[in-house]
Amino acid sequence: MKKTLTVNLGGTVFHIDEDAYQLLDKYLSNLRIHFRKEEGSDEIMNDFEIRISELLHERIKLGYEVISLEQVEEVIKRMGKPEEIFGDSFQEEEKEEYQEKTETVYTKRRLFRNPDDRILGGVAGGLAAYLGWDPTAIRLGLILLMIFWGVIIPVYFVLWLIIPMAHTATEKLQMRGEKVTVENIGKTVTDGFERVSNNVNDYISSGKPRSTLQKLGDAFVSIFGVLVKVVGILFAVVLLPPVLLILFVLLVVLFAVVVGLLGGGIGLLGGGMGILEELSPWGGGWGLVPHFSEGALIGSTIGTILVIGIPVVSLLYLIGGQLFKWKPMPSQGKWILLVIWVIALAATIVIATHYGLPAWNIMNGWHWGMMPI
Amino acid sequence: MNAENVKSQMRKGILEYCILLLLKKEPAYTSDIIQKLQEAKLIVVEGTLYPLLTRLKNSELLAYQWIESTQGPPRKYYRLTEKGELFLGELESSWQELNDTINHITNN
Repeated sequence: MKKTLTVNLGGTVFHIDEDAYQLLDKYLSNLRIHFRKEEGSDEIMNDFEIRISELLHERIKLGYEVISLEQVEEVIKRMGKPEEIFGDSFQEEEKEEYQEKTETVYTKRRLFRNPDDRILGGVAGGLAAYLGWDPTAIRLGLILLMIFWGVIIPVYFVLWLIIPMAHTATEKLQMRGEKVTVENIGKTVTDGFERVSNNVNDYISSGKPRSTLQKLGDAFVSIFGVLVKVVGILFAVVLLPPVLLILFVLLVVLFAVVVGLLGGGIGLLGGGMGILEELSPWGGGWGLVPHFSEGALIGSTIGTILVIGIPVVSLLYLIGGQLFKWKPMPSQGKWILLVIWVIALAATIVIATHYGLPAWNIMNGWHWGMMPI
Repeated sequence: MNAENVKSQMRKGILEYCILLLLKKEPAYTSDIIQKLQEAKLIVVEGTLYPLLTRLKNSELLAYQWIESTQGPPRKYYRLTEKGELFLGELESSWQELNDTINHITNN
């Protein structure tokens, strides 16, 4: 008696023996790895699946209800093993790639958190893989350090936050300092009960069963995650009103400036200024406004809003991204924001030193002069 | 250096040419192309052909459409494009040249 699986291959449903499934799955994964750099690799894989499905379908028509190991072997023989398909040119290519890799990647070991050997965040497992030490020894060491030297505890959480998890087969190999070759990727994938999806760099989930200790760790992790989310929401709620206010004022300014530029809107501009004066560090009822030229006032206000607003909005976006799975900001966007922020900061500093300080001095002098002593 | 290696290199060299020649005569399903090439002993395993067809399709020398089948899923029906015909013309003259070269060398 054998266990069978139901698979969808090229749009047709098949019942397939477990061992036959494993062989076929391995074969397709192997091909996928070999084709990964080819343009249209998805289409090629699809062609393979459809053809295999056709060949198996013929067997079904002959009255075989379940696909067995022999049938899969026959199909593979007909389709050809990767080395037969790619022949010598493929081996040469691999050799070249290998030499390239040995020059650049071989010695480069990277620090990752280890998803296959973790109790909490995989920090100790990752360190162990990185240093080539025994993970249990590292865990014991960490616990001892935590007991005698409490500073280690936040350090651990910071490491957890900073060090990325090794998600892909490539990253796992880099974590252990092994060569990133097709053979090694294949090994990682078959070693860890894992599947390669379309691309080697896609996410690979580990299907290894978890031990009791690791389950305990998982529970702790999920509780901690919920706490972080709650704190995040509170933080967002506290930060939201000022950000909305800044956005509102920014809108008013834009409106006022546009109207002002169009001419005849001086009254509105003044109204906008009134609100801005309250917010600008050189305004706020200190009576500085008369000492500023109109341009400097607008410049300093917009500058201040940008200098404060960009980090706050980015922070909120980051929190929102964590909480609600928003798409991360595209990197060009980040760079543009950074450039705008630096320009705004520079402009604000220039305006502040050119206008703000003299005005402040004049005003203070004026105040002192008015003192009734 | 062994004979098998050189022979397989030669076969590989004319594989694209033969596929285009086949499809110039008439459009065909992938399975037909495979069958004809295997009869001609040009390919040993089927897997060789799929990346090749995709490459030719991506270079716009071939095009395909999906044809519904009464038994099983729809199948790809390949045909030669105009660009493919021009390309084939070049290959044909090149093949002629090769032929002449060989004849010239053998006869002199």
